[in-house]
Amino acid sequence: MIKLAQAGRSAPSVALAQQQLNKMPYAAFLGVSLRVGPDGLETLTPDRADLIGNTNLPALHGGVVGSLLDITGMLTLVFLKALDRSPRLVDMDIDYLRSGQALPTHGRAEIVRAGRRMANVRARLWQDDPERPIAIGRLQFLFPKS
Amino acid sequence: MSLFLKSLKELPPFGQALGMVLEEADTGPGVAVLLPGAEHLSGDAEDAVFHTSVILATIDNTAGWCIRDHPDYAEGTSMATLDLRVDFVTPARLSETLRVRAVCEGFDGDIAFVRATAQTLKTKVLIATGQATFMLGTPDMPNLATPANALGGPVD
Repeated sequence: MIKLAQAGRSAPSVALAQQQLNKMPYAAFLGVSLRVGPDGLETLTPDRADLIGNTNLPALHGGVVGSLLDITGMLTLVFLKALDRSPRLVDMDIDYLRSGQALPTHGRAEIVRAGRRMANVRARLWQDDPERPIAIGRLQFLFPKS
Repeated sequence: MSLFLKSLKELPPFGQALGMVLEEADTGPGVAVLLPGAEHLSGDAEDAVFHTSVILATIDNTAGWCIRDHPDYAEGTSMATLDLRVDFVTPARLSETLRVRAVCEGFDGDIAFVRATAQTLKTKVLIATGQATFMLGTPDMPNLATPANALGGPVD
Protein backbone atom coordinates (compact mmCIF):
# COMPACT_ATOMS: atom_id res chain seq x y z
CA MET A 1 0.00 0.00 0.00
CA ILE A 2 2.70 2.42 1.02
CA LYS A 3 4.66 1.69 -2.13
CA LEU A 4 1.60 2.31 -4.28
CA ALA A 5 0.92 5.61 -2.57
CA GLN A 6 4.48 6.73 -3.04
CA ALA A 7 4.47 5.72 -6.68
CA GLY A 8 1.42 7.94 -7.18
CA ARG A 9 3.26 10.94 -5.80
CA SER A 10 4.72 13.38 -8.28
CA ALA A 11 8.37 14.40 -8.04
CA PRO A 12 9.18 17.89 -6.79
CA SER A 13 9.18 20.42 -9.60
CA VAL A 14 11.43 23.48 -9.59
CA ALA A 15 10.01 24.48 -12.95
CA LEU A 16 6.44 24.69 -11.60
CA ALA A 17 7.57 26.66 -8.53
CA GLN A 18 9.49 29.11 -10.74
CA GLN A 19 6.52 29.37 -13.10
CA GLN A 20 4.20 30.14 -10.18
CA LEU A 21 6.63 32.77 -8.88
CA ASN A 22 6.87 34.37 -12.33
CA LYS A 23 3.12 34.86 -12.59
CA MET A 24 2.85 36.58 -9.21
CA PRO A 25 3.26 40.36 -9.77
CA TYR A 26 3.39 41.06 -6.01
CA ALA A 27 6.33 38.67 -5.54
CA ALA A 28 8.15 40.43 -8.40
CA PHE A 29 7.49 43.76 -6.68
CA LEU A 30 9.05 42.40 -3.46
CA GLY A 31 11.99 41.04 -5.47
CA VAL A 32 11.48 37.45 -4.29
CA SER A 33 13.77 34.85 -5.88
CA LEU A 34 14.01 31.12 -5.27
CA ARG A 35 16.68 28.46 -5.45
CA VAL A 36 16.57 24.75 -4.81
CA GLY A 37 19.47 23.04 -3.06
CA PRO A 38 19.99 19.68 -1.38
CA ASP A 39 17.82 20.87 1.54
CA GLY A 40 14.91 21.88 -0.65
CA LEU A 41 13.45 25.18 -1.76
CA GLU A 42 14.69 28.47 -0.35
CA THR A 43 13.34 31.95 -1.03
CA LEU A 44 15.16 35.25 -0.77
CA THR A 45 14.21 38.92 -0.64
CA PRO A 46 16.83 41.63 -1.22
CA ASP A 47 17.85 44.36 1.22
CA ARG A 48 15.84 47.23 -0.26
CA ALA A 49 14.91 50.62 1.20
CA ASP A 50 11.21 50.34 0.30
CA LEU A 51 10.75 47.13 2.34
CA ILE A 52 11.42 48.99 5.58
CA GLY A 53 8.64 49.66 8.09
CA ASN A 54 10.53 51.56 10.76
CA THR A 55 13.17 53.94 9.42
CA ASN A 56 14.62 54.73 12.88
CA LEU A 57 15.86 51.20 13.68
CA PRO A 58 15.72 50.43 10.68
CA ALA A 59 13.52 47.33 10.63
CA LEU A 60 11.76 45.32 7.94
CA HIS A 61 8.02 46.02 7.70
CA GLY A 62 5.98 43.31 9.44
CA GLY A 63 4.00 43.03 6.23
CA VAL A 64 7.14 42.08 4.33
CA VAL A 65 7.91 39.39 6.91
CA GLY A 66 4.36 38.02 6.63
CA SER A 67 4.49 38.21 2.84
CA LEU A 68 7.68 36.18 2.59
CA LEU A 69 6.26 33.53 4.96
CA ASP A 70 3.13 33.31 2.77
CA ILE A 71 5.04 33.16 -0.53
CA THR A 72 7.61 30.66 0.84
CA GLY A 73 4.86 28.36 2.12
CA MET A 74 2.97 28.55 -1.15
CA LEU A 75 6.01 27.96 -3.39
CA THR A 76 7.19 25.06 -1.22
CA LEU A 77 3.79 23.43 -1.60
CA VAL A 78 3.80 23.98 -5.38
CA PHE A 79 7.37 22.63 -5.53
CA LEU A 80 6.89 19.50 -3.40
CA LYS A 81 3.43 18.62 -4.72
CA ALA A 82 4.19 19.67 -8.31
CA LEU A 83 1.01 21.79 -8.52
CA ASP A 84 0.31 23.55 -11.81
CA ARG A 85 -1.97 26.08 -10.13
CA SER A 86 -1.58 28.03 -6.93
CA PRO A 87 -3.15 26.73 -3.71
CA ARG A 88 -5.36 29.19 -1.82
CA LEU A 89 -4.17 30.49 1.54
CA VAL A 90 -7.06 30.08 3.99
CA ASP A 91 -5.48 31.44 7.15
CA MET A 92 -2.11 32.06 8.69
CA ASP A 93 -0.62 32.70 12.08
CA ILE A 94 2.69 34.53 12.40
CA ASP A 95 5.00 34.68 15.42
CA TYR A 96 7.48 37.53 15.16
CA LEU A 97 10.60 36.39 17.03
CA ARG A 98 13.14 39.10 16.30
CA SER A 99 13.10 42.46 14.61
CA GLY A 100 13.98 42.06 10.92
CA GLN A 101 17.08 44.08 10.04
CA ALA A 102 17.70 45.88 6.76
CA LEU A 103 19.28 42.74 5.32
CA PRO A 104 18.47 40.08 2.72
CA THR A 105 15.92 37.64 4.17
CA HIS A 106 15.79 33.88 3.55
CA GLY A 107 12.71 31.67 3.78
CA ARG A 108 12.13 27.96 4.01
CA ALA A 109 8.99 25.87 4.64
CA GLU A 110 7.91 22.32 5.30
CA ILE A 111 4.64 20.50 4.85
CA VAL A 112 3.44 19.27 8.23
CA ARG A 113 0.57 17.37 6.68
CA ALA A 114 -1.00 17.31 3.25
CA GLY A 115 -4.37 15.66 2.80
CA ARG A 116 -6.57 15.54 -0.27
CA ARG A 117 -7.96 19.05 0.08
CA MET A 118 -5.80 20.87 2.63
CA ALA A 119 -2.16 21.25 3.51
CA ASN A 120 -0.74 22.44 6.83
CA VAL A 121 2.56 24.22 6.26
CA ARG A 122 5.18 25.71 8.55
CA ALA A 123 7.48 28.44 7.27
CA ARG A 124 10.42 30.23 8.84
CA LEU A 125 12.54 33.24 7.93
CA TRP A 126 16.07 34.18 8.88
CA GLN A 127 18.67 36.74 7.90
CA ASP A 128 22.37 36.32 8.72
CA ASP A 129 22.04 33.20 10.90
CA PRO A 130 19.76 30.26 10.01
CA GLU A 131 19.73 29.31 13.71
CA ARG A 132 18.18 32.66 14.64
CA PRO A 133 14.82 32.83 12.85
CA ILE A 134 13.16 36.27 12.74
CA ALA A 135 9.67 34.81 12.27
CA ILE A 136 7.78 31.55 11.96
CA GLY A 137 4.38 30.99 10.42
CA ARG A 138 1.68 28.34 10.38
CA LEU A 139 -0.30 28.33 7.16
CA GLN A 140 -3.37 26.42 5.98
CA PHE A 141 -3.72 26.01 2.22
CA LEU A 142 -6.63 24.69 0.19
CA PHE A 143 -5.50 22.81 -2.92
CA PRO A 144 -6.86 24.02 -6.27
CA LYS A 145 -9.77 21.95 -7.58
CA SER A 146 -8.56 19.59 -10.27
CA MET B 1 -8.59 59.63 15.42
CA SER B 2 -5.96 61.54 17.38
CA LEU B 3 -4.43 64.80 16.18
CA PHE B 4 -1.10 63.04 16.21
CA LEU B 5 -2.19 60.46 13.68
CA LYS B 6 -3.85 63.07 11.49
CA SER B 7 -0.55 64.93 11.39
CA LEU B 8 1.24 61.77 10.41
CA LYS B 9 2.25 62.58 6.87
CA GLU B 10 5.11 60.15 6.73
CA LEU B 11 4.07 56.61 5.90
CA PRO B 12 6.54 53.79 6.46
CA PRO B 13 8.45 53.25 3.17
CA PHE B 14 6.74 49.91 2.59
CA GLY B 15 3.26 51.38 3.20
CA GLN B 16 4.10 54.07 0.67
CA ALA B 17 5.36 51.50 -1.82
CA LEU B 18 2.10 49.55 -1.58
CA GLY B 19 -0.01 52.72 -1.88
CA MET B 20 -1.65 52.81 1.57
CA VAL B 21 -3.59 55.93 2.55
CA LEU B 22 -4.82 56.82 6.04
CA GLU B 23 -8.56 57.48 5.92
CA GLU B 24 -8.75 60.84 7.68
CA ALA B 25 -12.55 60.99 7.57
CA ASP B 26 -12.85 57.95 9.83
CA THR B 27 -14.10 58.99 13.24
CA GLY B 28 -12.93 55.98 15.22
CA PRO B 29 -12.55 54.33 17.58
CA GLY B 30 -9.53 52.83 15.88
CA VAL B 31 -8.17 53.80 12.50
CA ALA B 32 -8.90 52.95 8.88
CA VAL B 33 -6.51 52.58 5.97
CA LEU B 34 -7.36 52.46 2.28
CA LEU B 35 -5.41 50.55 -0.32
CA PRO B 36 -6.51 51.02 -3.94
CA GLY B 37 -6.00 47.99 -6.19
CA ALA B 38 -2.91 48.16 -8.41
CA GLU B 39 -1.08 45.82 -10.76
CA HIS B 40 1.91 45.27 -8.43
CA LEU B 41 -0.43 44.06 -5.63
CA SER B 42 -1.74 41.20 -7.74
CA GLY B 43 -1.44 37.64 -6.52
CA ASP B 44 -1.97 36.05 -9.89
CA ALA B 45 -1.44 37.73 -13.25
CA GLU B 46 -4.54 35.93 -14.62
CA ASP B 47 -6.99 36.36 -11.73
CA ALA B 48 -6.57 40.09 -10.93
CA VAL B 49 -7.10 39.70 -7.19
CA PHE B 50 -5.14 41.18 -4.27
CA HIS B 51 -2.33 38.89 -3.10
CA THR B 52 -3.18 37.50 0.36
CA SER B 53 0.13 38.96 1.59
CA VAL B 54 -0.96 42.45 0.59
CA ILE B 55 -4.08 42.12 2.74
CA LEU B 56 -1.93 40.83 5.58
CA ALA B 57 0.58 43.68 5.22
CA THR B 58 -2.21 46.28 5.31
CA ILE B 59 -3.71 44.68 8.41
CA ASP B 60 -0.28 44.64 10.09
CA ASN B 61 0.27 48.32 9.29
CA THR B 62 -3.21 49.44 10.34
CA ALA B 63 -2.98 47.47 13.59
CA GLY B 64 0.29 49.26 14.43
CA TRP B 65 -1.25 52.64 13.69
CA CYS B 66 -4.24 51.98 15.86
CA ILE B 67 -1.86 51.43 18.80
CA ARG B 68 -0.16 54.75 18.08
CA ASP B 69 -3.60 56.32 17.98
CA HIS B 70 -4.51 54.99 21.44
CA PRO B 71 -4.91 57.79 24.04
CA ASP B 72 -2.45 56.09 26.43
CA TYR B 73 0.26 55.54 23.86
CA ALA B 74 3.26 57.86 24.19
CA GLU B 75 4.63 58.75 20.78
CA GLY B 76 8.21 57.57 20.49
CA THR B 77 7.63 54.38 22.48
CA SER B 78 8.97 51.42 20.58
CA MET B 79 6.44 48.83 19.55
CA ALA B 80 7.01 45.24 18.46
CA THR B 81 4.44 42.94 16.88
CA LEU B 82 4.46 39.66 18.80
CA ASP B 83 2.03 37.78 16.61
CA LEU B 84 -0.56 38.23 13.92
CA ARG B 85 -3.31 35.89 12.78
CA VAL B 86 -5.28 36.47 9.59
CA ASP B 87 -8.29 34.61 8.18
CA PHE B 88 -8.66 35.16 4.45
CA VAL B 89 -12.45 35.04 4.04
CA THR B 90 -12.95 36.08 0.39
CA PRO B 91 -10.56 37.04 -2.42
CA ALA B 92 -10.66 40.79 -3.26
CA ARG B 93 -10.74 42.04 -6.86
CA LEU B 94 -8.06 44.53 -7.87
CA SER B 95 -10.75 46.78 -9.34
CA GLU B 96 -11.77 47.47 -5.72
CA THR B 97 -10.17 49.49 -2.94
CA LEU B 98 -9.37 47.59 0.22
CA ARG B 99 -10.46 49.22 3.48
CA VAL B 100 -8.89 47.94 6.69
CA ARG B 101 -10.14 49.05 10.11
CA ALA B 102 -8.25 48.20 13.26
CA VAL B 103 -9.43 48.71 16.83
CA CYS B 104 -7.33 48.37 19.96
CA GLU B 105 -9.26 46.20 22.39
CA GLY B 106 -6.81 46.12 25.27
CA PHE B 107 -3.91 48.34 26.30
CA ASP B 108 -2.02 48.23 29.58
CA GLY B 109 1.29 49.93 28.83
CA ASP B 110 3.15 46.65 28.24
CA ILE B 111 0.86 44.78 25.88
CA ALA B 112 -1.80 45.84 23.40
CA PHE B 113 -4.38 43.69 21.62
CA VAL B 114 -5.86 44.62 18.25
CA ARG B 115 -8.65 43.29 16.05
CA ALA B 116 -8.94 44.24 12.41
CA THR B 117 -11.24 43.65 9.47
CA ALA B 118 -10.64 44.15 5.77
CA GLN B 119 -13.56 44.96 3.48
CA THR B 120 -13.99 46.14 -0.07
CA LEU B 121 -14.68 49.89 0.05
CA LYS B 122 -17.59 50.02 -2.43
CA THR B 123 -19.32 46.66 -2.04
CA LYS B 124 -18.46 46.18 1.66
CA VAL B 125 -17.66 42.50 1.24
CA LEU B 126 -15.73 41.00 4.16
CA ILE B 127 -12.29 40.08 2.80
CA ALA B 128 -10.29 39.16 5.90
CA THR B 129 -10.18 39.40 9.66
CA GLY B 130 -7.04 39.78 11.74
CA GLN B 131 -5.90 39.70 15.32
CA ALA B 132 -2.54 41.03 16.53
CA THR B 133 -0.66 41.39 19.80
CA PHE B 134 2.00 44.04 20.41
CA MET B 135 4.64 44.63 23.04
CA LEU B 136 5.18 48.26 23.99
CA GLY B 137 8.55 49.70 24.91
CA THR B 138 11.74 47.80 25.73
CA PRO B 139 13.29 47.01 29.13
CA ASP B 140 15.58 50.05 28.67
CA MET B 141 12.91 52.30 27.23
CA PRO B 142 9.45 51.55 28.64
CA ASN B 143 6.30 53.33 27.55
CA LEU B 144 7.13 57.02 28.07
CA ALA B 145 3.71 58.20 29.12
CA THR B 146 3.66 59.21 32.79
CA PRO B 147 1.42 61.64 34.63
CA ALA B 148 4.28 64.17 34.50
CA ASN B 149 4.88 63.62 30.85
CA ALA B 150 1.44 62.83 29.52
CA LEU B 151 2.31 63.52 25.92
CA GLY B 152 5.31 61.27 26.15
CA GLY B 153 7.64 63.65 24.34
CA PRO B 154 11.40 63.46 24.74
CA VAL B 155 12.25 63.12 28.44
CA ASP B 156 15.18 65.54 28.48
